Amino acid sequence: MYSYIFRPMKTALKVSEIRNILNTNPSMPFISKDWRSPGEEWVKTEEGWEKKKVLEHCKQIKYKESNEDEKENINNSKQTSSSHQPHCHITVKSTKEIAGFNELDEAVKRLDFRNAVRDVRRFNYVCALLDHLIGQQMTNMSGCTQKALLAMLEEVARYATTSQHNPRGFRRLLNKLRALSAAERSACWGGPLGSQLLWHQNTAKINRILNMGSEFQIQEPHPDLHPKLLNLPEECIREIILRLSDHRDLTASAQSCDQICTIVNEQRVWRELAKFHFTPQQIELVLPKDTGKIDWKTVYNSLKKTYGLNEERQYAEMLSLCKYCCCLFWKSLGHPCIAEQCPDFRARLQEAGGITPPSPVPPSAFLKLFSL
Amino acid sequence: MPQIKLQSSDGEVFPIDVDVAKCSVTIKTMLEDLGMDEEEEEVVPLPNVNSAILRKVLHWATFHKDDPPPPEDDENKEKRTDDISSWDADFLKVDQGTLFELILAANYLDIKGLLDVTCKTVANMIKGKAPEEIRKTFNIKNDFTASEEDQVRKENEWCEEK
Repeated sequence: MYSYIFRPMKTALKVSEIRNILNTNPSMPFISKDWRSPGEEWVKTEEGWEKKKVLEHCKQIKYKESNEDEKENINNSKQTSSSHQPHCHITVKSTKEIAGFNELDEAVKRLDFRNAVRDVRRFNYVCALLDHLIGQQMTNMSGCTQKALLAMLEEVARYATTSQHNPRGFRRLLNKLRALSAAERSACWGGPLGSQLLWHQNTAKINRILNMGSEFQIQEPHPDLHPKLLNLPEECIREIILRLSDHRDLTASAQSCDQICTIVNEQRVWRELAKFHFTPQQIELVLPKDTGKIDWKTVYNSLKKTYGLNEERQYAEMLSLCKYCCCLFWKSLGHPCIAEQCPDFRARLQEAGGITPPSPVPPSAFLKLFSL
Repeated sequence: MPQIKLQSSDGEVFPIDVDVAKCSVTIKTMLEDLGMDEEEEEVVPLPNVNSAILRKVLHWATFHKDDPPPPEDDENKEKRTDDISSWDADFLKVDQGTLFELILAANYLDIKGLLDVTCKTVANMIKGKAPEEIRKTFNIKNDFTASEEDQVRKENEWCEEK
């Protein structure tokens, strides 16, 4: 963006004046190629300049202002943090022309994904998204998007290593990250590299994340702690096992020790797993026709092969899409909706048959909104 | 607000609102069956719960006393292990010993919500880990012989096929 300042302008700025603007003005006016346009307001953040409108709903805005203002900012942010609703308007029916305006990095920033990582309810959703995005194909994305995604991944790595949450998912992401850095290394002049400076930063970040991954170790609890998992009565261990929704977790825990193995092999565990992932109609079709003994583990297995697993059931929280304002938002945080703010519109909707609730957006659907 | 007194295993007495105490189905049925009078200064002994855990349980129950009953139609709720409110997540940032004692107490006192959220927390600790990592996480001794281990692995191999 610096280059824009040096583009032909009616009143040329002296270098010292520009320096003044850069140093003193935290939100600098954007001077566009066409100098008559009002342009954007830009804010300096830790990670470089960002459009003010993008940051408006994030907690991360860090103005470089005088101390008094900072204090005020902190107070304000405390007050507003509860009402803080990250949301992002989006053009749903994307055409080739419009696709350019749906920018992934902007959406990621507006929806405050970096803070979402720290929320246990949203962590898995963010991981699933990154799982689709990180990897070789990232070399084709814009520099801003690369930067935003890597920042998100670093946050995920930090959370996963401190909380020891879901190492399998974390390792998957690390493998994809290795693929990305291999793709970058094999790129030659004119390749998909983009800015060299940016890639220096990216490589530093990638190495930091990979380091975190290699240093990751399961922390053992203190050996004297009492009670231990196996000291619990069987019904309590069963309650825990029944909450696992992934067959891989069930088999892994079955392989950990004899007592858990016995519980995992109970029919009830697999019956409830099948009922969680599949509809009664699907199960009906797969059940053996003769009224012999049903082995629910086999039933689950054939269901999995026939229908595949439905990703939508697995997230505690997903992004939602409001039909009326074409707005993406986190379900638990809500969004300022036109149907609630404008009584006329609301009345018309009620006449037309009531307000339809916002629809959930699974990770794959979210990515379809962008031209990747 | 009528109160009730609960006595932990180590003798500490906790006066608490009856409404909060009724989170526990065990206490609720006991009060209904015995028809305890509100004026009566009876102390309910809870020999299976020590004071540190009882204090935590009551803390949880006080925070959740106005929760609406969970919707009946959502059977999948149980398996969504990351569906833990941020208050509960913070509340359960405790060592494993305390976490398992809370499970025991929730099971004994029959507090469904607390049992659910503690079991989910433990399930999250299992999630995504290899057998060896699970053993390490919970300090479990591998009690399989080599041949048994092989057998269990074979039984579960089908899962990896795509």
